[in-house]
Amino acid sequence: MPSKVERWKDETYGMEVRDHLLRFAEEGWDAIPEDEHDAWFERFKWWGLYHQRKGQESYFMMRIGTPMGRMTPEQLRTVGEVAEEYATGPVENPEFGDAYADFTTRQSIQLHWIKVEDIADIWDELESVGLSTIQACGDSWRNIVGSPVAGRDADELIDVWPIVQELHETFKGNDLYSNLPRKWKVAMTGDRRGSGQGDINDLAFEPAVKEIDGEEVEGFNVNVGGGLARKEPRFARDIDVFCRPENATDVAAGLSALFRDYGDREDRFNARIKFLVDEWGPEKVRSVLQEEYVDYELPTAGEGLRSEYDYNAGRADSTGDYIGVYDQQDGQNFVGLSVLVGRMAAEDVIELADLAEEYGSEMIGLTQRQNVIVGDVADDDLDDFLAEDLLDEHSPDPHPFMRGSIACTGTEYCSLSIVETKNRMVRYGRWLRDNVPVPEGVEDFHIHLSGCTASCAQPQIADISLRGMKTRKDGDAVEAFDVGLGGGLGENPTFADWVKMRVPADEVPGYIANLLETYEAERAGPEESFRDFVADRDEDELAALADSEETSYEDPYLGNTKMTWYPYAEETAMDASPAPTDGRGEPLPSDD
Amino acid sequence: MADRVMKVNAFTTFDLLDASVEGHGFEEEAFATLNVRTAREAPEAISLELELDNTELESVPPHADRVTLSAAEARTLATELQSAADRVAAAEDE
Repeated sequence: MPSKVERWKDETYGMEVRDHLLRFAEEGWDAIPEDEHDAWFERFKWWGLYHQRKGQESYFMMRIGTPMGRMTPEQLRTVGEVAEEYATGPVENPEFGDAYADFTTRQSIQLHWIKVEDIADIWDELESVGLSTIQACGDSWRNIVGSPVAGRDADELIDVWPIVQELHETFKGNDLYSNLPRKWKVAMTGDRRGSGQGDINDLAFEPAVKEIDGEEVEGFNVNVGGGLARKEPRFARDIDVFCRPENATDVAAGLSALFRDYGDREDRFNARIKFLVDEWGPEKVRSVLQEEYVDYELPTAGEGLRSEYDYNAGRADSTGDYIGVYDQQDGQNFVGLSVLVGRMAAEDVIELADLAEEYGSEMIGLTQRQNVIVGDVADDDLDDFLAEDLLDEHSPDPHPFMRGSIACTGTEYCSLSIVETKNRMVRYGRWLRDNVPVPEGVEDFHIHLSGCTASCAQPQIADISLRGMKTRKDGDAVEAFDVGLGGGLGENPTFADWVKMRVPADEVPGYIANLLETYEAERAGPEESFRDFVADRDEDELAALADSEETSYEDPYLGNTKMTWYPYAEETAMDASPAPTDGRGEPLPSDD
Repeated sequence: MADRVMKVNAFTTFDLLDASVEGHGFEEEAFATLNVRTAREAPEAISLELELDNTELESVPPHADRVTLSAAEARTLATELQSAADRVAAAEDE
């Protein structure tokens, strides 16, 4: 029997949801029938809106999908202006102020505290510069990820930007693919870095070369069925298909139609294509694709470039991100700036857009490590650009502990999370910077902090993986983390080994300090990366590497932030919440 | 080490309980998660799942236990738990 969500989707879904949202925007929050909240909130996702958690009723997170994280400075400025005008809540965030934008691990933008009454005005502003919230969430083609500097990166195999634009145009707002059994995440990589992180996507195009009819052809190997969620992490499986760039849209259409037709619509927990690949095996995926969905003979896989991949690969010989200054093909430079946990104040977003424009940049890029790139900086301008004040805060050369952190949304807004995340990760980073010696040779160190097992911060693929839990300390329940070590992508992707459970949140910095001390003392030498160090040790050795301990680090969110209406409010109790509010942010009368 | 078997998020019934495992010749204590689940669609039964933190245990491999209850069985359990809770609360009041 189709699931409840499938029945809601059968009634209304896809493009038509927009008209309903515009009606609710006109009539106000109260016009959404209370007994239909679940159905409407599910449908709103297709247009990029997620209802925030308990205690924050009537407020939404809005996601703007930017293919491969690419924007013009004008688009970035609009994001900042929309954030400043519409994404402010009843209470400020103590680290980030009253308006900010989150850059996500899928190269999108998230704004919070959005009121349904403002949707039409926000869409007008975003769409006037070519931005959209379409299919940013929901069961369809999500934002396509890949290298934002495709076409600029000095050492790439294929410029995938034109292909990604074609995929985006073809599959956004396309009724044939608008209602899939579950989300559909696509990555396209044309560089030698592996920066698309295709291994953790439903569909991955990985750069490859193949000899066909005596000619060496550049294109992609096709992998299917990766993903981290639901405590069932999978790397995308090789279906032994090589795809020429001109066939990418046909192959993508075929595979998403295969998913549409054969994916599980009865059990959403089993719906992602990774489970279909488990069930069928890659050979059957290939044969069904060939027989039912593609009208030309699919070549077998070509020679990939995996051995060169360094993006989030935990290598000692190169950094695994885009932070810093890099050569472009045209002789100019792109500059990657660190954005700690991906959150940037709205005024900084606007200032960055202004700066980029001033320096003649035509491209801003959001990366999967929640950082931002400014493209097209000329050699002659480089020193001036690097000396700009904004780069003190968002640095191209940050301290290693301020560089590699990713955090999900956490209990600040999310219904699933059981711990506070972003502000805590900021505090961890600062404490580590100020108190822990960096092992010689370490330039970036990846800590991924997720608020629960849903894996939104990609906790399984980091040097240190932190995943929200609870523990008891001095008789009280406190927020805590399970700790994993040694995950990463690259030539041989591996998931983290989970080595500790329920480390109290205030003892995590002490644990990391002790762990790094052991690493530096016991590693074979600076050429042994942390990831290799972990890979060389068995379970018992890993568990014994370090103990957690209290330090000078103080954690203001140790209590049960899930139970607050907003963790940083003066009065945090659920009944102190002003929500739901009307279009002006005034509390609506309660039914009680 | 093995990862947890059960997922844990804000909808988990209990993410922090005291638990123990006992067998012939061994007894160990650990924190545990406990979750009550029903299918989202047309549920026919109730699952009660329990997982002790495997990092604390040497005598058993990482695993979660699950019992399946009918609606009537779940009500019986709830009634017994309710009355046991009343007794504990009454004892605390004395």
